[in-house]
Amino acid sequence: MKRDSLVLRAARRGGGWAAVLALARLADVAVSVLFPLALAHAIDTVLAGRDVLPALLPCAALFALSAAAGALLELGAGSAAARATAWVRHLLVGRLLAAGPARGALPAGEAASRITAGAADAGTAPVAAIQSGIALLQPVGAMVALIVIDWRVALGLALGLPVIAVLLRAFVRDVSGSVRRYMTVQGTIAARLGEALGGARTIAAAGTSAREADRVLTALPELRDHGHALWRAQGGMGGRGLVVGLLLQVCALAVAGFQLAAGRITPGELVAVAQYAGLVVGLGPIVSGLLRLARARAGAGWAAELLAAPVPEHGTRDAPPGPGRLEFRGVRSGGVLDGLDLVVPGGRSVAVVGRSGAGKSLLAALAGRLADPDAGEVLLDGVPLPELSRPALRREVGYAFDRPALFGATVRDAIGFGPEPATPARVLAAASAARADDFVRRLPAGYATPVTDAPMSGGELQRLGLARAFAHPGRLLVLDDATSSLDTATELQVAQALAGEFGDRTRLIIAHRAGTAARADLVAWLDGGRIRALGRHADLWADPGYRDVFGADGR
Amino acid sequence: MSARGAVLRRLYRTFADTARQRPGAVLRLALWSAVGAAPTFVFGHAVARAVDGFLAGRPAAACGWLGVLLLAGVAGALAFRPLYAALAAIVEPFRDDLVERVVRGALARSLTGRPDTGAVARLTHQVEIARDSYAGLLMVARGFLFSTAGALLGLLTLAPAMLLFVLPPLLLALVLFAALLALLAARQRALLLGEERLAERTAAVAEGVRDAVACGGEERLRAEVGEVVDEQAALARSMARLGALRALILALGGWGPLLLVLAAAPWLVERGAGPGTVAGALTYVMHGLRPALNTLVQGVGGGGLRLAVALERIAESGPPPAPALPPALPPTPSPTPSPTQPPALSPAPSPALPPTRPPTADPIPGRPAVELCGVTFSYGPRARAVLKDLDLVVPEGDHLAVVGPSGIGKSTLAALVAGTAVPSAGRVLVHGRPPGDPRHRVLIPQQAYVFGGSLHDNLGYLAPGADSAAMARAVDAVGLAALVKRLGGLGGMMDPGALSAGEAQLVALARAFLSPAPLVVLDEATCHLDPAAEARVERAFAARPGTLVVIAHRISSALRARRVLVLDGSAAVSGGHEELLAGSPLYRDLVGHWRSEPAGGLGDPDGVDPVARTDLPVDPR
Repeated sequence: MKRDSLVLRAARRGGGWAAVLALARLADVAVSVLFPLALAHAIDTVLAGRDVLPALLPCAALFALSAAAGALLELGAGSAAARATAWVRHLLVGRLLAAGPARGALPAGEAASRITAGAADAGTAPVAAIQSGIALLQPVGAMVALIVIDWRVALGLALGLPVIAVLLRAFVRDVSGSVRRYMTVQGTIAARLGEALGGARTIAAAGTSAREADRVLTALPELRDHGHALWRAQGGMGGRGLVVGLLLQVCALAVAGFQLAAGRITPGELVAVAQYAGLVVGLGPIVSGLLRLARARAGAGWAAELLAAPVPEHGTRDAPPGPGRLEFRGVRSGGVLDGLDLVVPGGRSVAVVGRSGAGKSLLAALAGRLADPDAGEVLLDGVPLPELSRPALRREVGYAFDRPALFGATVRDAIGFGPEPATPARVLAAASAARADDFVRRLPAGYATPVTDAPMSGGELQRLGLARAFAHPGRLLVLDDATSSLDTATELQVAQALAGEFGDRTRLIIAHRAGTAARADLVAWLDGGRIRALGRHADLWADPGYRDVFGADGR
Repeated sequence: MSARGAVLRRLYRTFADTARQRPGAVLRLALWSAVGAAPTFVFGHAVARAVDGFLAGRPAAACGWLGVLLLAGVAGALAFRPLYAALAAIVEPFRDDLVERVVRGALARSLTGRPDTGAVARLTHQVEIARDSYAGLLMVARGFLFSTAGALLGLLTLAPAMLLFVLPPLLLALVLFAALLALLAARQRALLLGEERLAERTAAVAEGVRDAVACGGEERLRAEVGEVVDEQAALARSMARLGALRALILALGGWGPLLLVLAAAPWLVERGAGPGTVAGALTYVMHGLRPALNTLVQGVGGGGLRLAVALERIAESGPPPAPALPPALPPTPSPTPSPTQPPALSPAPSPALPPTRPPTADPIPGRPAVELCGVTFSYGPRARAVLKDLDLVVPEGDHLAVVGPSGIGKSTLAALVAGTAVPSAGRVLVHGRPPGDPRHRVLIPQQAYVFGGSLHDNLGYLAPGADSAAMARAVDAVGLAALVKRLGGLGGMMDPGALSAGEAQLVALARAFLSPAPLVVLDEATCHLDPAAEARVERAFAARPGTLVVIAHRISSALRARRVLVLDGSAAVSGGHEELLAGSPLYRDLVGHWRSEPAGGLGDPDGVDPVARTDLPVDPR
């Protein structure tokens, strides 16, 4: 099972600390089982009027052992969990990045909470398992000690135990349903808040902020109802637990009292019986340990789902010398592309056009192996992309997107982002070519402005994304709708730079505007999963179906 | 200010508020806690009498005392239900207040242009942590107080001299623990903040994984996130070291009284105490004081700090304006809305001040729909002005298009007209009144707002009383019929996530169309529509009675307008199309690119349907 294998592997990372934890826990249990006996002996010594000091020594020794075990327990548990958690997190972050954009439809926030909360759970799981496993020894040991003191007392207590088990089961059942309902309502409120925040400008303009808050909070009374139900369940359980526990203790004490009267046990042993009965009956810590373990395992399973995403394998070849000829051979993908063949000549620009949903962005993703085709091949200068090593592939192919995600602390870092940061001169040249230099210089700290502090419109963000692609070396440049938010004048300037400074690179340009298509050397018209036509824009324009792609025929 | 001081102050304030607002519930909590502590008080006495009874051959009396213990237990158990009810009566409203605070605060902050992306996580995460740990803390605190009181009272009545041996180590442990709390608080806080940072970083990586891979930057990001992971691990280990210290303190407080009582027992016996008294005294220490201390140290160490930090996080992001504060929590000295801080920079034009709601007033007849007089806007006193000395008059019934390069201030202009931004200098009037009255104007931004609910509710958002005929007209006017059909009519429920960006914009546009406001401002509100759909929408709004201002995404919008305002950073020029072609080089430039298509295109050369020629092939040279 994926979940438990992750927990086990994480446990191994805890290393020596896990062993420390286990030993400390064992010592702790040993102290709690042995101490009542030592105490009984001390009490009886006192009552017999003998010197109490020798009898106190075992008690003091157990005290020292208990203190040491307690300290080591905290240290071991914390350290083992910290190490295991860090290991799981490193693993998951690595896997997230290695799996790439094909990781499926897991939203970013989901992935993040699996790496934070899920990994923390998975990292705690080994600790929880050790803790609750050894904790089970405590009532067993106490029972044995009771039998040693007087078997009748032990029997009396054992008869009452099933009652506790039944009680606890009912509680877990009660509570898990309420918790689920509570969380559902909570999710509803959160989702509504998310929507409203997305529409902040509309709400500000309409002056409906108070109304929106009320709408988000509509479900609050329902949340409160479920909350009250949860507390009721807990209160009921607490009361029942107390009375049953006390009943068993009193039974044990009563039986022990008759044994005391009969002279079979000493007063000290009676005090010990009360202690042991408490240990046997006090299943609380064990149950909470088991609950924690269950939660940790669930968290581990949740985190392990991230590991299910397949990781693409890369070859070892370097890209052979070549002009950057890109070839699609019989490519099938995503149920959209169906046997597509296309050759993008080296050093030329090809615009890909087609109705929305025709698979243009998919084609762009396949061109640089952001996705692998279901069938067929994509080759760069004759080499199938999977045979290229990852560094070679990423060096040779640069991408610019419709809505780029920027990484790096500053605008300069964001433009120069890659395996090796680009030189400042290169960043500057790229920014100029992408027509970003001007607005970047107007930012509060120019190129040193933190990305998070830079007020950017969609068009400005796109220009930074273009600059990043321009700063990237390589023979193939893929522009996936990367100028869609630029105004016509800026787009033209960028297009000129693309044709001039970057004219030697092969350019695959996903285009929605006719103007973009017109500037490309060739246009690949994507339709029905294949290339319907490959030619110059001016030639294709005669076809009404082609014009229709741009919605240019109006209504 | 020390971390401990802050933590304890916050905890104290939280409880003081609870006590002030819900004294009944607090009183009930205390009362039932006292009843709940009955078994603790009785335990030692019962054991003492029972032991003496059994030893003296009076088993009936001994059993009687055990029966008393059992009765006390039943009473204590019965107290649990009202106890938890009292707890719920404190904690549930407490949570409600926090939820309300987060929601209203996040909305208020978003309205000032600062996107509050962490709000949803705070809502589900921090608020629940606060609720759970507050409940836990209350239970721990009252448990400790009443159990300790019960045990000490029992001891006092059974063997008062024993208090001399019990109290000193107990108090010493409490003092040491209080001192340790300061260190724990600082570490715990750093740990929690680190978790948030880690969540932010991983979310950013997950969000941009496509870009990360495309740039070949996986290793760099892995190393960057890895650093945060390792920092967290180091913090967690240092927490574990403090935990070890805490365990030692606990051992001192738990074992110290026990050993001292044992050591003092001979002295007690010399003074005539029987076996029962010794057993009873030890019972109080072991079954009363030790568990109570244990719960306190474990509970406060974890829960109290978690509560303090969660409350601090919520308060930091609380609503900036005072009136929105719910009465539950006092305004805390949070560092966020510091007046010296410059307003956050954000893509949307954010006003320097929160939008002011002018007194409602009817439009003044005969005044232009929009008047701007010497309007200047900048994000801060030292920032470059986005708009400078702008004068503009839009007569009633006009159709104005605003064009210019992206980032030049078009959206800012829309926000100023709508009154959601306040000019740094100059004056804006809408129908002769200060801007911002939703009855006078409607602003539809680029980012369409659609909420989960029926299509009917979404469309009627700005016109709650609109009848279905009006809705049908609006649906037809903007071209929303296909979506209405897909959803199965106006009553169909919408999932905002399932709509395309274009469909969401159409919903927002139909909503604006239905609005009774005479002035409509479309701020690139059609950018996700195809050119034909955009043309249909703009024509529909032009035909609607009232005034239309379009912030143009495509130059074609200018050709449909009666007048055009060209913004180019240094100056603004307005006029008719021909006039601007002659007078504005920038306009000529923008339109020129559009016009220089190769011959043999399509469309109507006389421009009756200008949209047909949007973004036609452009000759780059």
